[in-house]
Amino acid sequence: MSSSEALLCAGLVRRYGHRTALDGVDLRVERGETVVLTGANGAGKTTLLRVLATVLRPTSGRVVVEGHALPAAARAARPLVGYAGHEPLVYPALTARENLDLYAALFGVEPDAVPRALDRVGLAPRGTDRVSEFSRGMLQRLSLARATLHRPQVLLLDEPSSGLDAGGSALLDELLAETGRTVVIATHDPERFDAAARRLLIDAGRVSG
Amino acid sequence: MSGSGRTFRALLRKDIVLELRSRELVPAMSAFVLATFVLFRFGLGGAHLAGGTRAAVGLFWVGMVFMATLGLMRTFAAERESRLWDGILSAPIDRAWVWAARTCATLAFLVVVQVAALPVFWLLFLQDGPSPSFWVLIAALVLADLGLAALGALVAGLASAVRAREVLLPVLYLPFSIPLVLVAVSLTVHTIPPQTSGFGVAQRLGFLALYDTLFGLLGWALFEYVLED
Repeated sequence: MSSSEALLCAGLVRRYGHRTALDGVDLRVERGETVVLTGANGAGKTTLLRVLATVLRPTSGRVVVEGHALPAAARAARPLVGYAGHEPLVYPALTARENLDLYAALFGVEPDAVPRALDRVGLAPRGTDRVSEFSRGMLQRLSLARATLHRPQVLLLDEPSSGLDAGGSALLDELLAETGRTVVIATHDPERFDAAARRLLIDAGRVSG
Repeated sequence: MSGSGRTFRALLRKDIVLELRSRELVPAMSAFVLATFVLFRFGLGGAHLAGGTRAAVGLFWVGMVFMATLGLMRTFAAERESRLWDGILSAPIDRAWVWAARTCATLAFLVVVQVAALPVFWLLFLQDGPSPSFWVLIAALVLADLGLAALGALVAGLASAVRAREVLLPVLYLPFSIPLVLVAVSLTVHTIPPQTSGFGVAQRLGFLALYDTLFGLLGWALFEYVLED
């Protein structure tokens, strides 16, 4: 792996029992690059992001995140990666503030960062409301705040634009425009994102592009 | 506070706050165990059971284990139902802290239920007999509860990953809790005169502490792998 690469997959295979979700994925993403990953439902987009986010172990193959080989060095890679999954990954019974306080503790982020993160995604006035009362778009904003709370170098986003209103979309664009950050976006709507981003297709567990 | 201490405190606080808001576990566990005592009391023919104090104490601990099993069915439910594991697993923490926080939360819930259940049990079954040695009884309850919680958090983590979790959890939990229950019964009996014996009590307290240590070490070492998909 060269020093300019943020992510590297070589012959990555991931199986769920007898079903093969990723069937020899080869992928190289440079630092600061934005990659848009498209593909049909069940093609393997979410599985690939979950492997890169270190929450799923690869069955075989080589995966390196910011110089850390997975799964052996997953713990060293985790502070460098922000993952916003298909679900918002927040506790519905907790408030927005409590959810971010929890993640701040888990990622070793100073508590002061939480109000700033809420303010940044426009949720400061709703910080003490329970997440179960949030709309889909507000959940998506909170999910973005959670995924970027620890200022990761690599951002993995699964359908990040779904449910966002105009303000939320502008916020997402702002996050994506931050220089120096590597971003991988899995989406069914590739036209929504920067035309300069590299586009890849994932089909039946293989990446082409 | 160190990073690990902050992680543990945040996870424990989350577990306690979720229970305080949902009121899912403690009320259900309390209702279950009180109903069980009433059923035993009237179903088995009154306060004076054929097996005497030992039978009554046995019923208490059987009720406790089934009550703990009921509570453990909902352990990690929030993580499972809202697919929150991905959020927790993406954090750069030792996953054993998730187990440790859940063990402490489960211990707290068991203690809260027992504070209500124990007087009721005494009234229903043992009110005519001699009073137990209070501090030994407290030590027995805390050590036995800690073992039930440590084993329970580990097994609940294992069961949370499978579809048939309602079946798997008691199948794993109950056999491993047998030695703990047998010793807890024997120890509780030893807290009640005339069975009280200093050596017998110390021996049994030692066994419970050993059991807690064993499942503490197993939970700490294995939870990292329990959560792997």
